[in-house]
Amino acid sequence: MSYVNEELDARGLNCPLPILRAKKAIAGMAEGDVLKVLATDPGAVKDFEAFCRQTGNELLQSQSTGESFEFHIRKQ
Amino acid sequence: MAKRMKAAERRASILAVAKVLFADKGFHAVSVDEIARRVGVSPAVLYQHFSSKEELYEAVLENLSAPRETYVEAALDGPDDFASVLYRISRVFIARVEEDPDYFRIELVSVLEGGEIANRFFTSRWQSIVDYIEYSLKELAMDKRIPAVNERAAALLFQGMIREAIYSKCIVNAERYKGVSLEKLVQQLLHLFLQAIGYKEKENV
Repeated sequence: MSYVNEELDARGLNCPLPILRAKKAIAGMAEGDVLKVLATDPGAVKDFEAFCRQTGNELLQSQSTGESFEFHIRKQ
Repeated sequence: MAKRMKAAERRASILAVAKVLFADKGFHAVSVDEIARRVGVSPAVLYQHFSSKEELYEAVLENLSAPRETYVEAALDGPDDFASVLYRISRVFIARVEEDPDYFRIELVSVLEGGEIANRFFTSRWQSIVDYIEYSLKELAMDKRIPAVNERAAALLFQGMIREAIYSKCIVNAERYKGVSLEKLVQQLLHLFLQAIGYKEKENV
């Protein structure tokens, strides 16, 4: 996971808070940087797919770790 | 392909009939047999599309609400301050209800039916707005951008206002509010809400 530049812990937050936090975090990052997001909202998988479609960033990874979801997003 | 289209059409007609019946009578008073009869199919055909009445009810609610992606889009599409985001997600919510007030009728009937059905409605429809308000107000108060406020009561206040606006405009068609659109009414209510919690719109954008 050494390629992750920043982490956002959005566990316990429901839509739209995780995506708003992610938008804010990505705004402060450089192009090509990777943001890792942890979330527990069951709708987060669909939300981050939609987030990347709409913001033009790349969803590198979307996986369930059992207790939470983990997303890796590369800023474009 | 033709057969698949036909199945999709059949499914859509079952959803349309079930929606009207659930809105008129509630979940418990409507039977699968009645829905099948109104659609003009046998209950066996209905069960090919939906395994239970509960599944059909969920599908009706799912079909009536705005797609989750629309909320994501609304949340992202504009300034990130609390008032702007709250306005945009509320607008998506009311636009969908205005399009098809049966959505709200189903909610009202579900409240009368109580228990699990009403809770399911709250969880799937209101909770994200209420949670967003509670969490944001807690943060705004911590940052001293608004005075300390009971965020749970404030979220309930907002929910009540929006619900009453929808009720007056879409269900009762109240003469008193004929001159104002639902969207405008919600804008005015949001403004009052922000004043009530001591949120200064210009300072927080």
